[in-house]
Amino acid sequence: MATEVLWWIFAAATVALSAGVVFSRSVLHSAIFLIGSLAGVGAMYVFLTVDFLALVQFLIYGGAVTVLILLALMLTRQGATGVPEAVSGSQAPFAAIAGGGLLAILMGVAVAVKWPGDVSDKPSHISIEVMSKALFVDYGPPFIIASVLLLVALVGAIILARQEEGE
Amino acid sequence: MVPLENYLVLSAILFSLGVYGVLARRNAVLVLMAVELMLNAVSLNFVAFAAYLDPDKITGAIFAVFVITVAAAEVGLALAIIIRMFRNSATANVDEVAQLKW
Repeated sequence: MATEVLWWIFAAATVALSAGVVFSRSVLHSAIFLIGSLAGVGAMYVFLTVDFLALVQFLIYGGAVTVLILLALMLTRQGATGVPEAVSGSQAPFAAIAGGGLLAILMGVAVAVKWPGDVSDKPSHISIEVMSKALFVDYGPPFIIASVLLLVALVGAIILARQEEGE
Repeated sequence: MVPLENYLVLSAILFSLGVYGVLARRNAVLVLMAVELMLNAVSLNFVAFAAYLDPDKITGAIFAVFVITVAAAEVGLALAIIIRMFRNSATANVDEVAQLKW
């Protein structure tokens, strides 16, 4: 019972913070809200008892990715003077229709479909040992390919962002 | 225990907010943040389905690890492109970067 109450608190916080990311007037506030929103999803992983994913979510997303985004925000700041720019373009009403329609469809499906199995069953705990065995033994080749992908992407990012001669 | 539907509805809300953000916002970095929201919603869906319906309970979590990896690579590249774009045209507004349009 206590878990359920906690779940609802964290879910409401996650939704509110995500709405803050999308609707906030200041880009810097959006980035701060994003940290909270990602931490909220990490808390959901704790409720689903996947320890490793929750750790990765807090460290990689809450730490590394948001720092990267904040740095990019500061590097691409327009002049602090002058009127604040409109946050949304003229396409915002259509975006609201697209987002709202998708939300209606997804929620309808999620609630209407009768999922097989005991969906109210308590999820079993997934320890870091189980997770590492699956990651390094059963899914070894994809793991190596993912690390090569990361290496190539980061080298490419450095080449793209590099200051060239005579620029 | 919280039923599966709650997780599905939560991730649907996050995903729809992300769709709205990608379509409506004008700052390129904010578009990227909305994409991150969508990716997170998808990983949450994977993990929730695996925890409740998969007998192994592990496949969804593995999938989420790879989603996070690809998302990290994507953020790095996208921010490099945005910085490049800002250097070339002094704007981070996606509506003003239309050199490829003719």
